[in-house]
Parts: sequence; structure tokens; C-alpha cells
Amino acid sequence: MTAGGHERRWAIVILAALALLALLPLTAPRDDVLNFVFLILLAITLAESWNIVAGYAGQVNLGHAAFFGLGALVTRMLWTEGAPVLLAMAAGAGTATLFALVIGVAAFRLRGAYFAIGTLALGEILRTTVGNVLPEISTLPAATIASYRLTQRFYLALGLAAVSVLAVAALATSRLGLGMRAIREDEEAAESSGVGALSLKLTALALSTALAGLAGGLFAYYHISYYPSHPFGPHWTFDALLMTFIGGVGTLQGPVLGAILYIVLKEYLALRWVDIHLLIFGALFVGIVLLLPGGLVQAAERARGVLGGARRAA
Amino acid sequence: MPLLEVERLSKGFGGVRAVSDVSFALDEGELLGIMGPNGSGKTTLFNLIAGALSPDAGRIRLAGRDIAGRPAHEVCAAGVARTFQLVRPFAGLTVLENVLVGRLYGRARTTTSEAVTEARRLLRVLGLEPRAGEPAARLTLIDRKRLELARALATSPRLLLLDEFMAGLNPVETATAMELVRDLVAGGMTVLMVEHIVWALMDLARRIIVLSAGEKIADGPPAAVAADPNVVDVYLGAAVERRTRA
Repeated sequence: MTAGGHERRWAIVILAALALLALLPLTAPRDDVLNFVFLILLAITLAESWNIVAGYAGQVNLGHAAFFGLGALVTRMLWTEGAPVLLAMAAGAGTATLFALVIGVAAFRLRGAYFAIGTLALGEILRTTVGNVLPEISTLPAATIASYRLTQRFYLALGLAAVSVLAVAALATSRLGLGMRAIREDEEAAESSGVGALSLKLTALALSTALAGLAGGLFAYYHISYYPSHPFGPHWTFDALLMTFIGGVGTLQGPVLGAILYIVLKEYLALRWVDIHLLIFGALFVGIVLLLPGGLVQAAERARGVLGGARRAA
Repeated sequence: MPLLEVERLSKGFGGVRAVSDVSFALDEGELLGIMGPNGSGKTTLFNLIAGALSPDAGRIRLAGRDIAGRPAHEVCAAGVARTFQLVRPFAGLTVLENVLVGRLYGRARTTTSEAVTEARRLLRVLGLEPRAGEPAARLTLIDRKRLELARALATSPRLLLLDEFMAGLNPVETATAMELVRDLVAGGMTVLMVEHIVWALMDLARRIIVLSAGEKIADGPPAAVAADPNVVDVYLGAAVERRTRA
């Protein structure tokens, strides 16, 4: 709330950058450029959505992929049956949120590591179930492929990333966000200051999973063919987690910076060291958690502090 | 009608009766002290009233309304605020934000701009205003206690629970803390305080109840309580025993 000015400035910077990106398709770029930026935008949405529950309400949700997957599943089904894509995505997000609320009431009885393990199990249960029930690859019909426009997907991803950033910016500067951060700092003390922890944690989860469900829907709209269990894979959760921590958990700009760095690095590393790039990410993550628990955002603050100190000394 | 009525309250942990059949009442504007040796059930009693624990039996009425077993945030909204024995400010939030949480979620629930004004006023009263923008983690112990008090007061409580507010303070700081409490009571606040520093309690409270092994063994003015043979036995008896053993 007092940091509101800071968050608002970052929101403006990020939204301005996204607005500039809206001009990209007009320059008639190669498809691989659009695809690459699309991946970054999807990653921003996913990371910001994870950040709401982890960074603000302080609960590490390791089942995020379940909600991304549910969004993808429902959207793909409705859209391929002929529903307008935005409606299908809304239904996907609604399903993910509803499921999250049902699960959340039970899962939030667990604290700390137990909540993390419980949600991880949930994601894996859904992934296995979907893999068993829908083992066939899902491919778009030939007619849809023929009319496939990458630009539409790109703008949808851009809009969704902007919505995520706006949602987190609004949260960060609101009474609701303050209550969530109080829970993150000390749940018992928050409760005794009047904060209803369960309902706020559920609100955070609902907001987070609605965005994750929309991101899943975008994935379903974007990919021509994939196994229905693929968007339920745990790597979606851990990608979001890594990006958020690399950038700075509990900040507005952190997940955005983390998502950009992560996708750029991943593309580069995957190209050069096909198999060991995951090892490199693992090491990077361990390094960040140990040395810079506040991620890039904290690194920037420290650098500014050191530079400021040097200037004062000079 | 008393503001707080505690009636035959009991709470056990496994085989231990931490609070056993305790009853007392507290009038509006009164400062009631609770004392007792370690493990006598003072903090459990506090946690029961504040909603952090649910009683096994008994009633807790605030202005006639039963609040026993209600979750802590509802108890806070009903008008009970507390500080913690080991201070628990929200370390990652700023000093001002800490107080705003109490203001925006407690009994008052004003608009944000009014809340900021009121939070700043409380910080000024408690001498923390210059540090409003700093993270609470940077405060010293006495300032953290001030902050917890500000956060509790921001909820507009009808009853304030102070759990060993003086613990860990040096004599000068203790005197400051006592001044703060005296000012609150002078301003009409109803206070229930657990305190280990007996002389501070004797000085502040006009009525004291004494707990021993979860049971209330005395209830009355400080002088009467201090002269009560049961109380002397619980405090000095134990001390004398320790000395003979050593």
C-alpha cells in the first residue's frame, strides 16, 4: 500500500512494453519470432498467476499445472466442438477456478510443506487420470489448421499477459493484497488482526487459477496437436516457480523479468546443450534461492544500494 | 453488565489440564492483571479468549455475546485485540502497513484513506512515525512491541489483551511500556494483561487474579492478593524449595 507508487510505476512500464509489442505483427516478422514472443507472453501469465498464491498469500502451490491443464482440456473440447474460443476459454478458466475452490477448502487445512506436497499430488493425479482416459493425441481438424492464424494467438497472449500484470498490480496495492501479505508473513498474527486467512487464501487461489485456466485455454488454442495430459505435466508448475523465483517472488515485475530471462535462456541453452539444460536450470535455481532469495529484483536493489553508497563515498 | 465474562472455562492438552474451571469478569475501562508461575495456564487462557484455541468447556462472553470457540479473526472483529508474548510483527511489511492491516481488517474497517490517517496518528502517538516506511524487521524489540500495540489498537478493540508486554525490556524501557499502558487505561481502554514482572503488574492493576496449575487461586486488589497465603505459597514456596535444593 505504501509501496503502491512503486508497483504502479512498474505496471505502467510493463504495459507500455506490451503495447509496443502489439506493433510487432505489423512489421511482418518471421513466424518463429512471433512464436518465441508468444512463449514469453504465455510464461508471463503463468508466472504471475503462480506468484499470486506464492508471493502474496505465501502458499507454495505445486499443483499449478492441474489448473493450467483443466483450462486447456475444457477449452480444447468446447472450441473443437464449435464454441467461440473466448467463450471456451472462459469456461475453461471457470472450471479450473471451481475445482481450485473445492480442492482449496481441503488443501488449505495443510500448512507449509504439507500444502506443497498435497497440491503436487493433486497435479500428478489429474495428469495420470487424463492420460488414462484420453490417451490419444489431440489434433486440430484439417479445416481449422487451414484457417490457423498465428497473429490471433499472439494478440490473445498479449492481452492475457496484460490482464495478469494488471490483476497483480491491482492486488498489490489493495486491501485484499495487504491481507494476503499479512498471512504470508504470519498467519496467526494476521488472524488475530482480523484477517480471515482461509477466505483470503481461497480468493488468492481463485484469482491465480482463473488466470492459469485462461493460460491453459490459450495453450489449447495455440497448439495444433498435443497429448491431452501434456498441459497437466509438472514442468508447467516448476517453470512458473522457477521464473517467479528467478525474477523475484512477491513483486509485480519479478515474474515478468523471470519469464523473459527463463524463456530466452531456455531456448539458447536447449539449442546448445540439448539435454543438460535442465541441470543448468536446477543449479541456477539453487544458486538464486541460496544467494538471492529475492531474485533479480533484489539483485537490482542491492546493486543500486552499492552504487548509491559508492557515489556518496566519492 | 461486565465487558468480558469468563465462565467455568477449561482446556486440556492430552492429560494436562492447562486451564481448569476458571471464571472471572472484567468491567469496561478496567485493567485486570493475571499472574502465576510458569505453566500455570496464563497464555492458554489468553489464547482461549483471543480465539487462537478452542475451549473444551465453558463460556466467554464479550458484551453478552458468546465468542468461545470462534476463530481469531471473528473474535478480533467482535472487538478483542492482542499482542503476543514473543512479538510477531509482519516482518516483511512496512511499519505503516503493519498498522494498516489492523485498521483495514479489524473492528473499524474504514476506507483506505481514513485508515492511513488513523494508522499514522497511532504511529505518532507511539513514537514510530519517523519509521513508517521501513520494514518492521528493522525495528528494535521495544519498537516492535510499540508496533504490535499500534496494530492491535488499530483494530479499534473494546478489550485489549497484553501477553507479557514487558518481557525482555530493560528497566528504562519497562517504565516506558508501563506509561503506554497507563495512558491507554486513562483513555478508557479495557485491558487484560498477563505479566511476569510482578511489581509492574502490582503497580498498574487495581485487581489481579492468580493462576496456579490452571486453576484460579486468588482474585482481588494487589495488596490482598500479595498477602494471600495461597499466593505466597505458590510463589515463595517454590522459591524457598529451589533454594534449599541448590
